Order: sequence, then structure tokens, then C-alpha cells
Amino acid sequence: MIEAQGLTKRYGPTTAVDDMSFTVHPGRVTGFLGPNGAGKSTTMRMVVGLDRPSDGAVTVNGRHYSQHRAPLQEVGVLLDAKAVHTGRTARNHLRAMAATHGISTKRVDEVIEMTGLTSVANKRVGGFSLGMGQRLGIASALLGDPQTLILDEPVNGLDPEGVLWVRNLTKYLASQGRTVFLSSHLMSEMALTADHLIVVGRGRVLADAPVADVVAGASGAKVRVRSPQADALEELLRHAGAAVIATEPGLLEVMGRSAEQVGDAAASAGLSLHELTPVSSSLEDAYLQLTADEVEYHSTAFGTETISGAEPANQGASR
Amino acid sequence: MTAATATPVRFQPSVAVRPQSFGRTVHSEWIKFWTVRSTIWTLVATVGVMVGISMLAAWGSSIEAVDAGSGPMNTAQLLSAGYQMAQLAIAVLGVLTIAGEYSTGMIRSTLAAVPRRVPVLTAKAFVLSGVVAGISLVSMALSYVATMPWHEDLGATFDLTNGETLRMTVGLPLYLMAIAAFAFAIGALLRHSAAALTAVIALLLVIENVLMLIPVRAIELISPFLPSSAGRRLLFDAETLEATDAITKGAHLSPWEGYAVLVAWVLVLGAVAAIMLRRRDA
Repeated sequence: MIEAQGLTKRYGPTTAVDDMSFTVHPGRVTGFLGPNGAGKSTTMRMVVGLDRPSDGAVTVNGRHYSQHRAPLQEVGVLLDAKAVHTGRTARNHLRAMAATHGISTKRVDEVIEMTGLTSVANKRVGGFSLGMGQRLGIASALLGDPQTLILDEPVNGLDPEGVLWVRNLTKYLASQGRTVFLSSHLMSEMALTADHLIVVGRGRVLADAPVADVVAGASGAKVRVRSPQADALEELLRHAGAAVIATEPGLLEVMGRSAEQVGDAAASAGLSLHELTPVSSSLEDAYLQLTADEVEYHSTAFGTETISGAEPANQGASR
Repeated sequence: MTAATATPVRFQPSVAVRPQSFGRTVHSEWIKFWTVRSTIWTLVATVGVMVGISMLAAWGSSIEAVDAGSGPMNTAQLLSAGYQMAQLAIAVLGVLTIAGEYSTGMIRSTLAAVPRRVPVLTAKAFVLSGVVAGISLVSMALSYVATMPWHEDLGATFDLTNGETLRMTVGLPLYLMAIAAFAFAIGALLRHSAAALTAVIALLLVIENVLMLIPVRAIELISPFLPSSAGRRLLFDAETLEATDAITKGAHLSPWEGYAVLVAWVLVLGAVAAIMLRRRDA
């Protein structure tokens, strides 16, 4: 269980984490979702005491991380794949980490096998790909068989097989009653992996709810209706109190009514329908809606003057 | 797997994990120390330089290419002849022991495992100085054996019941340990391998030796208290001490006073490094 209370981190004039309060519960995968620069990594570093909060506090299983007698048994953490000395072999890195808590070499070999690193265990980490680095980071996090796992962008750099592996692993770890806290900026990945979501943007918590609720909370479901008598149907539904948008001639989008209600209303008024489709919003919609105003680095739309104008000139100059 | 979703599972750890302790931190640092190649390189360089320069000094003295001073030669002086070059390798080792963790990002893994932080610094310093003391003794033993062919020619004597000989003999491991710890503290403060290496080597190799020769009163007063200038007096025999004092105008520290000054540098810088380690984000 991770509990953050008014957690704040300021770097000079910028506030990376702004008064965040949340609780991460055991027994399920909690996704920490937000655009780049939203303060996810900073928050996770504060949980394990690597960064000192400017204000507020965060505890793991009721105590500050540093006050636990065996921190690696409480929390296993993957902060970034590059938190390893490049000149040391993977196995020696894990041996050194294990030694701080008297963890046996047998366990070291166990996590090496679990993470599929057996063939490269005696190679120096400097030559590792990003994916192998991630696996080593996860191996390191699992070393102390911790109650709580904090994984910052664990699928970064993994191949599809690795992504699937992380997905199954995190679900399995949560099913054992562990607290699993997983960050990502990829909503598609979160939709598949997480049970619960904490959505953040610009250092603030935007939503803290089960995945299904976050999705449902996004503008609600819509019903698409095609009818040759669209004007009459629009009139009818408006009169009944539904929100209706005529997107093109003969096509309506109805909010606040189910497909059944729309169909029944049309039937009782003797209006014919050519299409009646419930359109549920995706996590992607929900996420984009939540974070629309909170994205730190806005991308420019394609086809704007800067892109279309500058590109050919640059290419011409470099060739 | 019956009804696992209905009732929340209480997590049961199945791996033996012991509490974090200083002894375990030392063990971890010991593993880390020996599993990077820079350790082996710098230690081999230290031994090679120490033995090589001892042999050169013995050979040079025997053909009178080097001013061997008057009277019978003290073997202890021969054994520590390579300290100036060896201290550079030792300084590199000291800096890399800590700064290498910052330049690679390893420090975040280290501090996540030992979140009280300061024990990491102490454990590293402990392993480093222990190994440096050991390697110094090994170097001296090898130097003794390697210079044996010249001992008779030089009339060299090695009598550990003689106070000065004993002081010079224990002086080498003590001096190199302190230099290693000094470089380590600089590395911990600067958190950057290249910057710390430049700072330490420039100080030991250039700045101290150049300052000694600048006839400005303020510099003359400070110069004897610089880390190496003060500490290395522990390695000098009476004759060398006199010769050094003759060309310097500032304070003339006794060998042990000089060493105490070097240790004070280490302790102050180490304390500042520990405070900074606690305060700064990793």
C-alpha cells in the first residue's frame, strides 16, 4: 500500500508534482497514466526516497521507505533501465544488490531465469539493449520478493513478446496480493494491464478510479442514428430531453440515451431507422479528454506552415 | 486458484530477506568493488609503479645517478620511492569508486537498497581504504624482494625497531589510504568522474608542487597544509625532511602533524560529502 499526502516537488520555479494525494492498494495493478512531463517519475522517486518532497509525504506500508528495516522486502523498484553500472555484469549487479539484504545467490539466479536473462547474465550491462536493461531492472525489483512493486515505464523498449510478459507478470504479482504500481504514457497498454488508474497531468491527479469508471466518465456513451426522417427524429428526441447533434444530413449523434431508448422512441413515432449504433468511448478518448489541457509538450499538427515550409528547405541544404 | 477474486489475497513472502545492516552494505560494496575492471587496472598499476620505481631508485643509487644522501641507506625509503606516481593510480581508484556510480546511474539502485544513504559512503570508504592498505603492504613486500640485489651495495638496512624506519614503513599504507579517501570524498562531492579526477590529479600532481615554489607570503603560509604536502612528510626520513624545510618558508610540520592535517582534510571533506548525500536528490 502506497499513500501519498499532498506530495509536492518543486525545482526552482517549476512545480513537477503539485499537491498529489492518492492511495495505491494491494491486490490489483494500479496504472499511473499521464503524458510525458506529468510528474510520474518524480513521484515514484519520492516514494523510494531518492527525491525529497518539497512538501507533503508519502509512505509505503505505513512508513517512510527509509524507515523500513528491510527496504527491498517492502518495495521493489524499476526507476529506469539505466540505473546500473555499465562495467559490471548483470549477475554481479544483482549479487551486489542482494548482498545489502543478505539475499542468497540462489535467489539471484532465480530472478535471472524469471526475467529471461540467463544467456546474458555474465555479460557487462554496457552492451545491453534497452529491452535487456528493462529486464535487468525488473529482475532487480523482484530480488527481495517485495510486497510492493513500483515500475516506471516497464514496457519501454521491450519487444511485443516482452510487453506481453510484463503484462502477465504484473497481473500475476497483483493476484498474489502485492501492490503493483505501474507508470506509462501509453493508454492502450494501461487499458490491457491495469485494474485501477491514477491519471495525472502537469503534476496533478486528474482521475483516480477503476479503469471502467475512467472510460465511462469520459463524456458518456453516444448513439449514432441514421434515418431518412432525421429532422423529425431530432425534434422528437430533443423534446424528450436528449442532447442531439446533427453531424451530417440524415445522421444524428445522441447523448444521454441508450440505443434501445432511441429505437423505441423512433418506433412509437413511426419513424424508420437505417442505422442504430451505440458508440462507447474508449480509454483513449477519456485520457485525451482528461489531459487535453495538461500536456506539457504540445505537438504541432501536420501540414502547418512551419513543418511544410521548413522541411524541404532543410533537406535541400543538407544534400 | 479458487475464488481468488472474491476474497483479497494476503501477500505471503517466500524468499528469505534479512534486515539491511552496515555489515551487509560492506559486503555489497565489496562485491561492487571487485566486479568493475577499473579496480583491477588501478591496483595493478599501483603495484607495478611502486615496485618499478623502487627498483629504479635502488639501481640509480647504486651507480650514484641519484643523490642517495650520506650514510647507509634506509630500505624503508627505497620501498616508498614510488609513492608519488602510485598515489595517482590510487586517487583514480578512489574517485571511480563513488563517481562511477553517479556517471552510470548506479547510485539510484544503491540508494534505493540502502535508503539511509550515509552507510553507503562509509562502507565504500571502508572497503576502499582496506584494500589500499593491503595493496600497499603487498607492493612494499614485492619492492623489498625486487631490490634485494642492490641492498648490499647500498648498505641498506631495514630495522623496524628503529622509530624512523617503522614510521616510514607504516607511513606508506597510511598515506595511500588517506589519499584514496581524499579522492573518494572529492568524487562524492563532485559526483562526476572526469571533474573529480581532474580536480584531484591537478591538485596532487601540479598545484601543490607549483605552489610550493611561489614566493608569495600567503601561499607560503598555506602550502604546507595542503593535503599531500602535509601527509607525505610521514614517508620522509630526517634528511629529506630537512631538505624540504630548507626550501620552504611556511610552517614545518612534524611527520605525524603533517599526516594529521591530511586526515583532517579527509574528515572534513567526508563530512561535507555525507551531509550533501543526505540532502541532495539522487
